[in-house]
Formats: sequence, structure tokens, C-alpha cells
Amino acid sequence: MDSSIHGVVNYPDAWKQHYVEQGFQDIDPTLAAAATNTGVVDWQRLKPAEGFQKVFRDAAEFGICSTGLTIPVRGAYGDSGAFSVVRNCSDAEWNRQRPEIIKGLQIHAANFHDRIMRQGRSMFFMRQPNLSAREKEVLQWVAAGKSQPDIGIILSISVRTVEVHLRSAREKLGALTTSQAVARAIGMEIIYPL
Amino acid sequence: MILVVDAINKHLHLEVLDEMFQLRARVFGDRLGWDVKISDGREIDEFDRLNPAYVIGLDDNYEVVACVRALQTTGPHMLADVFSDILQGEPPLRSATLWESTRFCVDTDRLTMSGRGPGSVSRATCELMIGSLEYARESGIEDIITVIDPVMNRVLKRSDNAPCDYIGATVQMGKTKALAALLDCSEERIARVRAFADITGDVFVNEEEFVNARALRKPKQTSCNILAGEVVKYLTEQIDDATNVEELDAALALTQHMLGSDLHETKSIARGA
Repeated sequence: MDSSIHGVVNYPDAWKQHYVEQGFQDIDPTLAAAATNTGVVDWQRLKPAEGFQKVFRDAAEFGICSTGLTIPVRGAYGDSGAFSVVRNCSDAEWNRQRPEIIKGLQIHAANFHDRIMRQGRSMFFMRQPNLSAREKEVLQWVAAGKSQPDIGIILSISVRTVEVHLRSAREKLGALTTSQAVARAIGMEIIYPL
Repeated sequence: MILVVDAINKHLHLEVLDEMFQLRARVFGDRLGWDVKISDGREIDEFDRLNPAYVIGLDDNYEVVACVRALQTTGPHMLADVFSDILQGEPPLRSATLWESTRFCVDTDRLTMSGRGPGSVSRATCELMIGSLEYARESGIEDIITVIDPVMNRVLKRSDNAPCDYIGATVQMGKTKALAALLDCSEERIARVRAFADITGDVFVNEEEFVNARALRKPKQTSCNILAGEVVKYLTEQIDDATNVEELDAALALTQHMLGSDLHETKSIARGA
């Protein structure tokens, strides 16, 4: 495990430059404070934090607002990360949209984190996903064309449990969809093609 | 009422956290006899150092009466690292939308065992379950895996909050058995528990109001002293102003009634008069 830090951002170049020049990475609470949390951090909560006003007063001049959130991500090997999104909209719209997009953002945050982690040489072993017997079994039945309710009946588990195993298997395989997970699992010889 | 304490606001709630660790020591150490490390009357383990989210139940006096801890399953958590026997050698489920909940407990010493009304164990349990499910949903969490003992399993079933399934096996853990249960964080489940416990409104405490209310609890003692001072002044005046024996007796009786056991002081006041 190395102690390197990776950052990927798609903010405007002018803001990135200003951000680094000012050394905002050292005081920005959306990085330091939010990354250590367990739950999602809505930036509203960080307003009293030191550094918030300083960073976001400048950010406003670059057209970046403070309506955003940070999703902390923890990996199995002591690695951690944070995925932040910001949206220029009214508070009302933000509060309406947030519950709709939050699940998707969690999945993408974890997926994004894993991709970055897998690039490092020291994390090479992470490329071998550690699926449980149950997760493989569920994927194998998906590959055999069974629906989730069918698989629940076959394995005598609830449909919800099938879904939880499938979701876990997808994420371990770094796949965003079940089809992609099945393709990868066959490619890695975790399950058989049928 | 429910308060969520995490990495962002823990500096505001150090005392609450301390009360929570003491509650955990009383429940898991003393009452249930789990194999937990207790030092200085507080139960704290290595997962508490990972900034978990604590969902904490409070009574009307803003004191801690229940708590539970949430950790991400993508990172280190108890089922993967401590309770791995339950998984029978299989790797754990890992998903960004699956949280692990552990150390669920309520203060059975401070709450009543009977009924489902306010101040009862059942009410505090249900409120905590609602709080943790709703808080998890807010973070986009779809399911919770929880390590529990058979007693808690029965509590869940009785509260119309039965697990949708179990993962791995039930294994012996010290004096008790442990198992891993799956609970979906669906609106339907929350509605069922709410209906069972007859809880309708927002269960979360307003953080600002809470901080202010907790801060006021100690000065309450001071305001009581001021009040007592006023009472003594009033009583002394009554005794001073007494013009005959009846009035003096009445004033002394009132003094004795108001100050109770401080009769000695009353007499010295009377003597002064």
C-alpha cells in the first residue's frame, strides 16, 4: 500500500489554477473534513467550518456555487477517497433532486475510486475480485437467463437478498450493470458461459 | 428524539459520545456479557476510530438512552474483520449502498419495560430503528447488514421490522450467539415500524436547539439556587413581619414546608426574628 494521493477534477482551468495558487487544498473542508466521514456530506453542513467561506467566496467569482455534496469512499485495504459534485441551482431544486440522484452517485463514487486505485502498481492484487460462493451462484444463474425472482426461488432466498448479492458482485467486479458484471465474470473464469 | 453524530459535528457532542460509550459498556459488557474491551467504564473499539456515523436516541431530558453505529461495507467493518466466523470463510458483501450497523442498544435501566408509550424500551428501540433507516436512506443507502444476537433478532421481528434474510450462519460469540441480518431501507419498512410504534412526526432533533438545551441543563442548578434564595428572603420577611404568635407559627410552618429538612436553618431565622 503506498501513501500517494490522486486527484481528478473537471472544474474550469482558471479555478483549478487559482485553487492551487491559493493553497486551498489545505483548507478546503470539502476535502479534509468530508473525506473522513461515513455518510454523505451536504456542503450546507460545512458552512461553519474553517476555510469554507474563504474557498467559496473565491469560488463564486469563478462561477462555482456552494450547492454540492461529498461522498466519502472507503476501500477494503485502508484506502479512502472522496467524490464531490456541485450543481448551480436553487436550494429548492437541490433538495428535490438530491434524493433521486444520491444512490447513483454512491455507486459511481465507489466505482471511480476503485478505478483510480487499480491504476497503482501496489494495488495490482485488487484486480482479482473476491466474490463469495453465493455471489458467484447468483451471477451464474443470471448468465443462465434466470430472473431475480426465479433465482430467489431456486436458492430459497428473498428477492431482496438476490439483489444485494448482485449489487455486491457488480461492485466487486467494477461493473456498472449486471450484463457487464456477467461479461467480466466469464472473462475472469469466475463463472461458466452458458 | 434522534441525533446523528459523525466526523463533521462530533466536536459539538463530545459529552454525548462519552455518555454513549458508557451506555455501550453497561449494555454489552455488564448486561449481555459480550467479549468487549471496556476501559474506564467506556466501551470503545478500533472501529470507533474510523469516524463511523452514530445514530443516537435521546430522552425528553436530552440524555442518551439508545445508540447504533454505521460503517461502510466497502471499507473495514465488523463482519469482515471481527465477526468473520459468521461468514464461514466466505468474503463479505461489499457495496457502496450497503451499510453495516453494529452496537445497537437501548438503556433498559432508564426506560420502562412495559408498554409502547414514550419512555418505554419499545418506543426508544423503534425510534432508533426509524432514525437509522431514514438517515441511511438520506445517504443513498439501500440495505443494512447488521450483526445481532438472537434477542435483538426477536426484537426486530416483534417491532414489525423482521429482517428480509440472514447471511452466513449463527455462531457462538462469547456468552451469546451472533448472526448477520439483512434489512432493506425501504419506505415500506420505515412505514411499518412507524405504524407499529405509532410514531408519526420527524424523529430527528434540531441540532442547534439540542446544543442549546444541553448547555442549559447545568445552569438549571444555578437558577434553582437563585430561586431558593428568593424563597428564603420571602420566608424571612414573613417571619420578620409576624405581629403575633399565630402569624409566626404560620410563617414557621410555611418555612418548614418550603425548605423541608432545613428546619435547623428555619429555627435560626426565627430566633433572629
